[in-house]
Amino acid sequence: MQTVAHGDVHTQDTHHGDHGHHDHHEQSWLEKYVFSTDHKIVAKQFLITGMMWAIVGALLSVLFRIQLAWPDETFPFLETFLGKWAEGGKISNEFYNALITMHGTILIFFVLTGGLSGTFANLLIPYQIGSRDMASGFINMLSYWFFFIASMVMFSSFFIQTGPAAGGWTAYPPLNGLRDTAISKGSGLGFDLWALAMVLFIISSLLGGLNYISTTLNLRTKGMTMFKLPLTVWSFMLTAVIGLLAFPALLAGVALLEFDRLLGTSFYLNDIIINGNLLDYKGGSPILYQHLFWFLGHPEVYIIILPAMGIVSEVISVHSRKPIFGYRAMVMSLSTIVVISFLVWAHHMFVSGMNPNLGAVFMLFSLLIAVPSSIKTFNWLGTIWRGSLRLNSPMMFAIGFVSMFITGGVTGIILGSAAIDIQLHDTYFVIAHFHLVMGVAAFFGMFAGVYHWFPRFYGRYMNETLGMIHFWITLIGGYAIFFPMHFMNDIPRRYYSFANFETFNRFEDMMVFITVSAIIVFLAQLLFVVNFFYSIFKGRKVEGEVCNPWGSTTLEWTAPVERLHGNWPGELPTVYRWPYDYSVNGRDFIPQNEPLKPGEVEHQ
Amino acid sequence: MDYTLSDKDVLKERMEYTGVHPQKFLLWLAMASMTMFFGALTSALIVKKADIQTWENFRLPTVFIYSTIAVVAVSVLMHFSLIQYRKAKFGLFRVLFSIAFVMAILFLGLQYLGWKQLEAIGMTLDGNISGSFIYLITSLHGLHIVIGLLITLIFLANAIRSRKDPIYELSNIANPKRVFNLEMLVTFWHYIDAVWVYLYVFLYFNYQ
Repeated sequence: MQTVAHGDVHTQDTHHGDHGHHDHHEQSWLEKYVFSTDHKIVAKQFLITGMMWAIVGALLSVLFRIQLAWPDETFPFLETFLGKWAEGGKISNEFYNALITMHGTILIFFVLTGGLSGTFANLLIPYQIGSRDMASGFINMLSYWFFFIASMVMFSSFFIQTGPAAGGWTAYPPLNGLRDTAISKGSGLGFDLWALAMVLFIISSLLGGLNYISTTLNLRTKGMTMFKLPLTVWSFMLTAVIGLLAFPALLAGVALLEFDRLLGTSFYLNDIIINGNLLDYKGGSPILYQHLFWFLGHPEVYIIILPAMGIVSEVISVHSRKPIFGYRAMVMSLSTIVVISFLVWAHHMFVSGMNPNLGAVFMLFSLLIAVPSSIKTFNWLGTIWRGSLRLNSPMMFAIGFVSMFITGGVTGIILGSAAIDIQLHDTYFVIAHFHLVMGVAAFFGMFAGVYHWFPRFYGRYMNETLGMIHFWITLIGGYAIFFPMHFMNDIPRRYYSFANFETFNRFEDMMVFITVSAIIVFLAQLLFVVNFFYSIFKGRKVEGEVCNPWGSTTLEWTAPVERLHGNWPGELPTVYRWPYDYSVNGRDFIPQNEPLKPGEVEHQ
Repeated sequence: MDYTLSDKDVLKERMEYTGVHPQKFLLWLAMASMTMFFGALTSALIVKKADIQTWENFRLPTVFIYSTIAVVAVSVLMHFSLIQYRKAKFGLFRVLFSIAFVMAILFLGLQYLGWKQLEAIGMTLDGNISGSFIYLITSLHGLHIVIGLLITLIFLANAIRSRKDPIYELSNIANPKRVFNLEMLVTFWHYIDAVWVYLYVFLYFNYQ
């Protein structure tokens, strides 16, 4: 057990002096597992926090689905758990709004951004590029702890008297711009906690992103050129680039919003009349907020989907025992998505009264993004084509990702056209689109990643039978929930009850079907959680000295099974070949650190 | 077997064949991000100014010129203090570094005076948006200065402590990590000072 002092640069000075890294000291449990700077521990912390949030976020959706399916029934158990929010066993309309708001916020930011990028970028970037750790372990640790504090702040808002934020995850003013619980309970302290949590979350994301980019660009091992990087690393780095440039806009948007709420400015507010009283706000416009919000809000969906795409590319190639089809095209399409993602934000605002000519520009770019996305899709299919498929749980989830991504992506083209979008805006059709393409799909990518890299985390496999049950219920259930919503393309989303609208009442049975599916899918996810924690302790162990259960070429599988801070006990591996040498020269796979044979030509 | 490494160990093997120091690169990325933040704020101002009829125009209070001078002085002083540090002239370093610290506080004071001048001409925080924007931008920039000051305080405390500890001070020369940390800090100050110069010029031309 040898340990090297680490931590803050100033303490390091006094600890180390001139002794360099031969000065070892025992690390306390707290340093090793709680305030750890080891990328693998940080990754686990992100994963487990993300899983907790996923359960909370999904549970919220089950609650509001119950209201949507059975608006007239009462469920006494709801009152037992929720108290005044469900008096008489019926979820109150205030709480319904809070549920949908928090469901969106939690899943988009805390699970699919923090949980997904945080877990896999931290685990895989140093491993796959052949680095001992991140560029700055200290900042990496801060990134997690900001995430944790943000989580605590967000979670605490459930327990205050006026309840959590209830003005939609987009937090549009003027509804959220006024600090008045008479308008909506959630616009009181709940919203301020939401904003504070978001600010902390953004800081966490930025600190993490700085590390992902700097590490990828500067800490690659010998021979690891950019075009020898696995697609996972490309996707994590490009995700961080989007975050780095887009999150500050949301930070600015939220800052202006809090100025309006707490300090009485009118950036977003103008001539508001409440109960016949004209409020003293002049000159602001909520459109400004929408621009600032969607400047992040749209790139955010790529922040969510890009890591999943990277994971899926890797998993599909490994389990098809075939080189990824079109490696450079994959990198180029990822990069193209990054660029175009910044030019499409106003397609969320077609109904905001914007200039139709401007709308046409945004429409053009929105449709253009289908090109790199389809290139990627065809490349995945091309990789699977005539491969020796291993249909295990990571592979099934990766294929499921492609399926969900296609189904959800096709409706993206429909919604991208301004003329149709104006008709479909804020209907269940939109819910179907984005849940399939970035919600369920990203979850599939995440599951593929967890099943695939679980041996790297814990030196054991996850249970395959449970994994398959989990997969089939989630796939069929995911479609059962969201596919019917395509037909509900005139039903407005976010409505608490359709009782007063005769025309919207014709989908009552469908609503029940969707809710039942949602409950089943939710329970199936608990199966995954059980599998996860069971396998940590009781899972089948990975055989052999080196942890390479899937026969992969990439560097993370050349490291020993035990966790070492520094990843490799001796020298770092040197890279000689690209990461997708599967089924070449009569061999199943050739690791990246194996030198080229005389006369062998490097993959271009 | 668990053992763990310091940042220095992680970076050591790598410095041989990449030119850029990864942590310095990290700071540049952070600057790109902060640039987007201030970019978002100033473009919000441009959009709002073009958008509304009720935009009240007024001249930017003159005190902001003095705060600009103060902030440039911080940068210059920081620059020379770093040079002295590299030359191991710690006495002069301490003087320059301390003055820079005081100048940064002075900058915040002048910004506050700027707010007072704005109030004096009737542009209150919750008044016309044109005034609100100046409070918004100066306070969010000031927040970055405050964070810079807090980090500088750690360096200052070390510098003052080492005055009475010749061994610590001598080990400054032998310890490239300390020079590096100071370089990072000074770079941050140059950046955040340059941001204010940009903001000043931007505000100056938008408030004629």
